[in-house]
Amino acid sequence: MSRHTVNLPWLRIRAVARRHAYVLQRSPHRLFDVTIWPLVDVLLFGSIGVFVSHQTTGGKVAAGYLLTGILLWHVVYQSQISLSTGFLEETWSRNLLNLMVTPLREVEYVAGVALFGLIKLAMGVGVVALTAFGFYAFNITDLGWSLIPIASILLIVGWVIALFVMGLVLRFGSGAEALAWGILFVVMPLSGVFYPVRSLPWLLRPVAQALPTTHAFSAGRAVIDGRTLPWSELGIAAGTTVVAAVIGLAFVTRMLATFRTRGYITRYS
Amino acid sequence: MDVVLRAEGLRKRYRGVLAVDGIDLEVQAGARVALLGPNGAGKTTTLMMLLGVITPDEGWVEILGHRLPRGRTAALAEVGFAAGYLPLAERMRVREFLRMYGQLYGIAEPGPLIDSALERFGIGRLATAMGTELSSGQRTLVGIVKATLHRPRLLVLDEPTASLDPDVAQRVRVGLRALCDEDNISLLVTSHNMLEVERLCERVVFMSAGCIVADGTPDAVAARFGRDDLEAVFLHLADEGRTAAGAQETDRA
Repeated sequence: MSRHTVNLPWLRIRAVARRHAYVLQRSPHRLFDVTIWPLVDVLLFGSIGVFVSHQTTGGKVAAGYLLTGILLWHVVYQSQISLSTGFLEETWSRNLLNLMVTPLREVEYVAGVALFGLIKLAMGVGVVALTAFGFYAFNITDLGWSLIPIASILLIVGWVIALFVMGLVLRFGSGAEALAWGILFVVMPLSGVFYPVRSLPWLLRPVAQALPTTHAFSAGRAVIDGRTLPWSELGIAAGTTVVAAVIGLAFVTRMLATFRTRGYITRYS
Repeated sequence: MDVVLRAEGLRKRYRGVLAVDGIDLEVQAGARVALLGPNGAGKTTTLMMLLGVITPDEGWVEILGHRLPRGRTAALAEVGFAAGYLPLAERMRVREFLRMYGQLYGIAEPGPLIDSALERFGIGRLATAMGTELSSGQRTLVGIVKATLHRPRLLVLDEPTASLDPDVAQRVRVGLRALCDEDNISLLVTSHNMLEVERLCERVVFMSAGCIVADGTPDAVAARFGRDDLEAVFLHLADEGRTAAGAQETDRA
């Protein structure tokens, strides 16, 4: 250990988190992810819900599905996008080599970006909840404590998806960065965010059933319907999340090894 | 004398091209060593392997007894790195950038160290400037401050003065020499400025086509090639490299 220094992983995690706080503070366009898109999503799905509720007898339930769905979806979206774009920020500003020659461990880096991501998540979900309440009198707290385990699973799923994006960027370079946003457009329809997966074409249903998000959203709809929290559904969601997390960690570790072996750092230096 | 850096049998191949071919290198505590060679000689790949950023196909690296990659975190806590070609992280002021890196090296309150390090290189006035407002020379100086903030045992600099005017480059050399002497810091530097190398380093390691072709004091290396100075050795090796590459092309044809 060098003079003047102490070994504190927590110090390094905080340093990374603070760096990303500066990025958000000084790039107003980054606020779009945590303010404008959540607002637009609530307006879009909330208005569809209101329209449907005027057309059909079960419309009020549909409006609740849509607004709860978009709120829970933003848990996945914000946690995924903040971790993915946090990593991409290092590639855009060619900061990757600077970081790789410090004692910072990979897990500390991810923890630092994810830590700041929690603040972005709170902002994004806060905008959704306030907009839904202000425009559509939809009070998310009515759903009670059941939301916490569901949101926790979705939070972890968002991080796991981000690990896959990071792995692909390490392997394929900036060409893979579109996946940071695009990958969620694949996951969203398959997850039954607004509808049960039996509404999907039969061919896609087994794929949907394998996703942890499908079971988490299904549990969310059960709560909206006034049923007790379906722990079995939540258990499947948790189990598949663990499996996905193990695969995601193995994938990003392998891609990092490839990155070091093939000398891909030259892409960013 | 203590060995700060030890590498043995480093070999790296990229898509069939041998970039580094069996490098052995030792850097003693307090030594100032230059790694030289024409473009494509394998200097940067060697540096990246020494820092654990690129995994060698063969061979191993040890920094202060910490074998890479297992001991990477402990090893890199003792190393500082700066490169003339690296920008500062965007959207951060110089002080914020240095504070972040100070903390990554485990310094809980790096404020006073940042002030003294900026003053050492005569850029205290830049503390509140945004990284994007700096000239390339100023960015390089801030990069060197970042690399020396934690008083590393080994300082690795890749083309540190490439974008500096002669006056600033001189200040950097003086600052680096003082820093290395005060704290017995070892220096491993690459440069294309042979005059600078002669002024800063007491040992030069010349690379060509992925191999070390000379290792010794600047005078001894120049004498070995029958040249007056390092500049002439450099030009000789670059010429030799071009001739060898041309011969390979002819063989392939």
